[in-house]
Amino acid sequence: MIHVHELTKQYAGRTAVDRLSFDVEAGEIVGFLGPNGAGKSTTMRILSGYMPPTSGMAMVDGHDVFRESLEVRRKVGYMPEMAPLYHDMRVKEYLHFRAELKGLRGRDLRHRTGEVMELCAVTDVRRRVIANLSKGFKQRVALADALIHRPKLLILDEPTNGLDPTQIRGVRELLRSLREQHTILLSTHILHEVEQTCDRVIMIHEGKIQACDTPRNLTRSLRATSLVHVELQSATDVAKELEALPGVRKVMTSKTDKGWRAYALRVESQTDIRESVLDLATAKGWRIRELHRQLPTLEDVFVELAAADSGARPFG
Amino acid sequence: MRVFWTLLKKELRAFFVSPVAYIVLALVMVLGGVSFKAALSVLESAPSEGSIVTWTFHAQWFWLSYFFVFPLLTMRLFAEEKKLGTLETLFTAPVRAWQVVGAKFTAAMVLYAVIWLPSLGNFWLLDWITGGKVEIPVGALRGSYLILFAMGVFNLAMGCFASSLTSNQIVAAVISFTMSVLHFLLGVFALVVGRRLPESMVEAVHYVASVEHIRLFTQGLIDTRPLIYYASLTLLFLTLTHQVVEFRRWKL
Repeated sequence: MIHVHELTKQYAGRTAVDRLSFDVEAGEIVGFLGPNGAGKSTTMRILSGYMPPTSGMAMVDGHDVFRESLEVRRKVGYMPEMAPLYHDMRVKEYLHFRAELKGLRGRDLRHRTGEVMELCAVTDVRRRVIANLSKGFKQRVALADALIHRPKLLILDEPTNGLDPTQIRGVRELLRSLREQHTILLSTHILHEVEQTCDRVIMIHEGKIQACDTPRNLTRSLRATSLVHVELQSATDVAKELEALPGVRKVMTSKTDKGWRAYALRVESQTDIRESVLDLATAKGWRIRELHRQLPTLEDVFVELAAADSGARPFG
Repeated sequence: MRVFWTLLKKELRAFFVSPVAYIVLALVMVLGGVSFKAALSVLESAPSEGSIVTWTFHAQWFWLSYFFVFPLLTMRLFAEEKKLGTLETLFTAPVRAWQVVGAKFTAAMVLYAVIWLPSLGNFWLLDWITGGKVEIPVGALRGSYLILFAMGVFNLAMGCFASSLTSNQIVAAVISFTMSVLHFLLGVFALVVGRRLPESMVEAVHYVASVEHIRLFTQGLIDTRPLIYYASLTLLFLTLTHQVVEFRRWKL
């Protein structure tokens, strides 16, 4: 659906996007992840036909974004960051206007407007003036606009920016339900979000791709270690014994109270030592009231990647 | 073409939803009335060469309203969209830049034509009250409104251009006002110093002087040269606006 090759964008001497290459297949939900100013928005603006690349090329559904800009724009539903809207219009009126611009006519236009309003849960505010809507509603009106011409590709720049947790969940569910009809490329700087929604993550930092994989693989292939939390009752401090277990790198005693001791074990990635901890405890006669493994999150991957870039290593 | 109509409808709607259209309309009606009254006083006080039409369009009040209209009508057009960021949504829909520029300009033009209509009522009213005893030259009336429209369209195009340069409406208004006044002064200045200039230059000066155009057209003298002059300048400024709007696309 998207084919990007050696895409570069420079603004007055500053390189925002640096020889980016990636592909997105039809039906995928791909997350663009990166800190602010990483080049996410720039890439999305290029893909949506808003501005041309300095060099390299980008194709959407077989059309060059620059040479066949109009064709691309018909196939892309783009929602810019901050969801800009005409403040003096009413919701339904705005969506009618946008649908007409995007080539919908007559009965189809009215039907589709109703459909996207229902889908984005803005039907109740359809007669309200956009300026008076809350941030969450504005965001959803912008999303309805992006969807209205049944685009093959949805490009959403920070779709959950400024929403409260309930609204974020709503948007996430909506995106999942849309995957049947649309390919989705969304950007965010919230890691949790891509973990929950996306099939694939493209991490971008200072205009370059840092990693590109499924969220699971990314966390798995991570050098970063996972943590195992143990809380047990024993007469003495057993940190030494736990540290002797294979795969354990480091043991941190976190708290003790009334004979209960809590330990956090840093273990090497892809090892599961929970069973050996349990075996050890049984053998030694310790009582256990907690034993669980905490997998590394994308956040860890991200921090690690960003740090690796600057030479520091946050995880030992 | 449908895209153009959709955009035009939206622009016209924006004018009438905001107070701008009504403020401008009120301003022009009041000052138009005062100009008309001033013209009547002139004719009342002494026998005069010019007709009621000529004197109406020579009152200072007329020029006052004239210069305020353009910034008010055009400052919003592009500057507001830039500020709101809606230019991005607009240009990621399948629309062409000329459609956007054309629709915005046409909307301003339509509104401009509408705001001058009530002033025609003054002449009609005079005719009705006096029972046709005051002569109102129809040719002069036609000429006056024709040149008013031609000059207006050119100033609106300059306003569009000013608005496309900035995301601040006040700045757009100031640029537009300044350009209009400078163009006007160019003509006046040239006419004032004109006497000391060689013959060929005086002719060139007449070509750009709005005051001179008004003088001729309000006497019913319809000259195609000023019309062509304003039409070509309008095209020039619309092209420039188009270039500014499209600049984003060519800035590599």
